[in-house]
Amino acid sequence: MSDSTSNLTPSPETRLTSIRPGMGQTHLPPFVRRLMTNRLAVVSLIVVILLVLIATLGPAIYTASPITPDYKAINQVPTAEHLLGTDNLGRDTLARLIYGLRVSLIVAFYVELLNISLGATLGLLAGYFGGLLDVIVTRIADILFAFPGLLLAILVAATFGPAVTEQFGGIGRLLLVTGSLSLVSWPLMARLVRSQTLTLKEQEFVTAARSLGASDRRIMLTYILPNVAGIILVSSTLDIASVVVNEAVLSLLGLGIQPPDPSIGKMITDATPFLDANPLQVFFPSFALMLIVLGVSFVGDGLRDATDPQSLH
Amino acid sequence: MIRVILRRLISLPFVVLSITIITFMVGYLAPGDPILSMMGSRRDPDTYERLRHLYGLDQPWYDQYVDYASGLLQGDLGLSYRYQGRPVLDLIGSGVLVSVQLGLAALTLSLSIGIPVGLWSALRQNSFVDRAGMTAMLTLYAVPSFVLIPIFRWINYQFYTRGLPSLPQAGWGRPEHWIMPVIVLAAASMGYIARLTRVSMLEVLKEDYLRTAQAKGLRNRRIRWIHAFRNALIPIVTVISPSIAFLVTGTFVVETLFSIPGIGYLSVQSISQRDYPVIQSTTVILAVAVLFMNLVTDLLYMLLDPRIRVEG
Repeated sequence: MSDSTSNLTPSPETRLTSIRPGMGQTHLPPFVRRLMTNRLAVVSLIVVILLVLIATLGPAIYTASPITPDYKAINQVPTAEHLLGTDNLGRDTLARLIYGLRVSLIVAFYVELLNISLGATLGLLAGYFGGLLDVIVTRIADILFAFPGLLLAILVAATFGPAVTEQFGGIGRLLLVTGSLSLVSWPLMARLVRSQTLTLKEQEFVTAARSLGASDRRIMLTYILPNVAGIILVSSTLDIASVVVNEAVLSLLGLGIQPPDPSIGKMITDATPFLDANPLQVFFPSFALMLIVLGVSFVGDGLRDATDPQSLH
Repeated sequence: MIRVILRRLISLPFVVLSITIITFMVGYLAPGDPILSMMGSRRDPDTYERLRHLYGLDQPWYDQYVDYASGLLQGDLGLSYRYQGRPVLDLIGSGVLVSVQLGLAALTLSLSIGIPVGLWSALRQNSFVDRAGMTAMLTLYAVPSFVLIPIFRWINYQFYTRGLPSLPQAGWGRPEHWIMPVIVLAAASMGYIARLTRVSMLEVLKEDYLRTAQAKGLRNRRIRWIHAFRNALIPIVTVISPSIAFLVTGTFVVETLFSIPGIGYLSVQSISQRDYPVIQSTTVILAVAVLFMNLVTDLLYMLLDPRIRVEG
């Protein structure tokens, strides 16, 4: 699956526009100003923000139930009552889409939170202190890398899924999906931050700080962290795209969000057998998914160019 | 070079060991008593003890692991929970072959389309062909398989309703069953390979030795195919590893959605019946297979590129 969306390179146009001088007077950080000149990234950012707003405020505005079936209205095309039509059980597609979007974004948010708090922290500590800690962290990361793709996430979600659902219900399942997806994505974050830290700690400004008597803690927080923050921000933004797809994969395999709760991945595959009756039921969730994936990828690419102007050359 | 190979070969058993330990731990930590759920309502202490012994669950965890690992070495994947006393290998053995065939077909397709498209784009950089080809490849790369499947099915359905030749929706056995799953499975890696081939070829085309070749008056065709292409191919070998990783996740999705009886489909089926040893075995098989494929790719890389041999 699109594991490394980071390979999406910006088109020549966006590269040129982002070199243009910033917007001037405002006191925004330089990288925000550079990002604002990248039209594709700004549009994508607006789309992503809109999707987040739909997911958070949607249920309050559009009150149709996402799980109540209506057997009198199955596989309907959009009507005034069901704005995006209904699925094969007569459930409202828009309502399901809003909740599915919610699940995707919540999972993505918590996976990245875990990646940053676990992966980035371990990478920073391992890179800075080296020694035994470094050996342990890199070995664990290497071992987790030995499982290709989603394999380990599938194994963990499958093995613990039923028990977690029995004990904690839907929330437990959501947490399990989050945990198993971050299990396969934190090693990359740790590796990136570690290698960047290794380079940084040999730089003169760090030596200078140390010779002035700065503590390890101070060097890491005030000298190294700001310089790896860009990488952390960019790679976790880009990773959101693959997490959203991976959550969909887990759910459509029956290992993620359990029916009747909606998940975008499950919506797509559930509607596929009814393509001939109502292709729109496949189109809407697929479109929403691609909107998140591409939107987040373009924002990530824009952030990469904005935080690291050297990458433009 | 020998040192690098040796180092890889020495670390290999440890990685395999770690894979089996992690897989075992996940299975061991799995909540619930598999024997109880296997027996259902028939709660008979004697049978319970007998089954616990048969499955080795009456032993401490380290003995269980040793049994498990030595079984793996002998090609014994353990026993199924769902079908009492039946070896897991019986359940998924047939699936391994299906998945391997499917995976190799997809890999072959993605290489045989991805590389030419990438080369063509590089040789016609910034032309219409380049842009169209790369947009198509980026789409294949970015659109997940479970979205591609309904798109292909819809197109196929349009053929079907118009009485044109069409493909079966799902299933396995006849040659035409292969076409859609292989294309879907190959899509992501095809896009990835094409884009990397293009970058790699463009990189090589800028090299001094190509200008020298041109200055010496060599024919363009010779420069492209003998001097440039062979050098551009070297980094392409490295994309085989990530492509295989795409294929592994893709296998689960494609086999499940097309009802192809490979190990991905069989293990997803077994999950719904809480037959965890099956997904555990699938994980070990796939992880170790990919590990060996990666090793072979790296060796191939070293064989192809003398510079790496010297540095190693």
